[in-house]
Amino acid sequence: MTTQYDPAAAAEIVNASAPGAACVDGGVLFLEPGQLVEAIETLRDAEQSDLVFLCNLTAVDQERYFEVVYHLQSLDLNHIILIKARVTDRDDPSLPSLSGVYHGAHLQEREVYDLFGIRFEGHPDLRRMFLWDGFPGYPLRKDFLQMPGQIRAGLPGFPHESQENAWPVPGSVPQRPQHPNDPPPPSEVTVAETDGEGAS
Amino acid sequence: MTTADDTRLAMQGTIEALTTGDGSEPVVVNLGPQHPSTHGVFRLKVTLDGEIVRDAEMRIGYLHRSMEKLAEERTYTQNIPFTDRIDYLAAMSNNLAYCLAAEELLGVEVPPRADAIRVMFAELQRIASHAMANGTFINDCGAWHTPLFHMFRDRERVLDMFEMTCGARLTTNYMRIGGVAFDLPEELLPTLESFLADMPERIADYEALLLENEILHARARGVGVISLEMAINSSLSGPVLRATGVPWDLRKANPYCGYEHYEFDVPVGEQGDCFDRFLVRMAEVKQSLRILRQVIDHLPDGPWLADLPLHARPEPGEAYQRVESPRGELGFYLVSDGGPAPYRFHCRPPSLINLSALKEMSIGGTLADAIVTLGSIDIVVGEIDR
Repeated sequence: MTTQYDPAAAAEIVNASAPGAACVDGGVLFLEPGQLVEAIETLRDAEQSDLVFLCNLTAVDQERYFEVVYHLQSLDLNHIILIKARVTDRDDPSLPSLSGVYHGAHLQEREVYDLFGIRFEGHPDLRRMFLWDGFPGYPLRKDFLQMPGQIRAGLPGFPHESQENAWPVPGSVPQRPQHPNDPPPPSEVTVAETDGEGAS
Repeated sequence: MTTADDTRLAMQGTIEALTTGDGSEPVVVNLGPQHPSTHGVFRLKVTLDGEIVRDAEMRIGYLHRSMEKLAEERTYTQNIPFTDRIDYLAAMSNNLAYCLAAEELLGVEVPPRADAIRVMFAELQRIASHAMANGTFINDCGAWHTPLFHMFRDRERVLDMFEMTCGARLTTNYMRIGGVAFDLPEELLPTLESFLADMPERIADYEALLLENEILHARARGVGVISLEMAINSSLSGPVLRATGVPWDLRKANPYCGYEHYEFDVPVGEQGDCFDRFLVRMAEVKQSLRILRQVIDHLPDGPWLADLPLHARPEPGEAYQRVESPRGELGFYLVSDGGPAPYRFHCRPPSLINLSALKEMSIGGTLADAIVTLGSIDIVVGEIDR
């Protein structure tokens, strides 16, 4: 059974080599962004922590700051630890990249950059991954409520549809071609009078 | 000039550059977004020197549906169908991983019968998914569709069992927070018994046809090799990691749903090449059958769903739960702020992270080897892009 690695023990290992880099708050190990790479490298190489496997890397928008979350695992000792780093600057968030420590951080950091806009300093190939270059905004931020600019969600209207229906206008109530709540569109089809299956 | 003429000219240029070999400029070839080897909409941009791959860069996002954002506006139960569509070839495993994470947040105790049913369907899903993975892998190696359809017969029987249990074949939406949606139907166990009776013979057939196959050896042995250290450092998981010789299986390392009560082995490879990944998947199907046998023999009675309000609100907190999906470590990281919907919903996708080392595996090999390597990683694009 995978055990939780004691964050206090991890903080002790980190603080022995880089004083003040780690603190434990509410059972979670927090690392100073400035010394993140050294601290995690120490935890990876130290014999008692042996955190060689980066399970998961993601971020959470806590509104006042971003929290970048790391789950590190030791395969031999079978323990896992949750590590967090806080990014307080919302206008230009950045954090040192772990791509030099774990090769597996490459794609996960790119994903966080793409969806949260957190720059990872030292990442060799930091580009958008799922969205295209020039996409306005970062969707997983809590203040991303609608598509800004001229970008509109959904498919463009078909040529036979009226242009008013084709795209939602930014800032207004989105109109869509069809929705179960909409009143039925005026029908141009006339219902033929029938007699059973055959037309009368 | 029409687009078709353009394409033909471009292809001619590519073919000429490929065949002239020495001294020619590197050629950039796009594999995909629509290409049989990519198993979905995935683009691999390879730079070729003659036939040798000098650089490989993947372009993804064609299937991005922003599920993590959508999930923040739906309740915990409403999010279960989303997980089907993350990895649509292993919907049961995705349901399971998400429900485990939500259960950890809510502190729900799952009844023993539900645990056994979950193990049963997770293993059936593994058989179906590995049938697909191995079939398409051999397809990429050059055996055009025949082995694929042989293996699809087995997958079809598994999907039939899904259908008789929950009404859906692919996007099952069967697991619930606290158990499973329905009890097993009467006709399931006899069907499963006959499936278990037939499978050993089927697997023996596949092994006789494939394991000694000279062409398969020539295409897959020593191709796409990755070392043990690099595999761990690249966060690879599942059969790709185990093929390098690491016996890391979350069903053993961190048992969930009572996996500690079942006897099974963790097959590992030796060389970390494409053939080893194929062998590991073949061996895992046998282990899944072993587990299924034990599940049927010790199927507990009782309720299959814990008593829980439909729209439960967990306490503020966070949970990271992972399962061994057919593709590797599938994790869900949920953060709750006490509301009815998750504050943050993150899926750790094994398909995406297993591609971390694709470049290293492909560079130096031929273009044909790059296709085999991609096939052996067994990606599902829905899970990569989410």
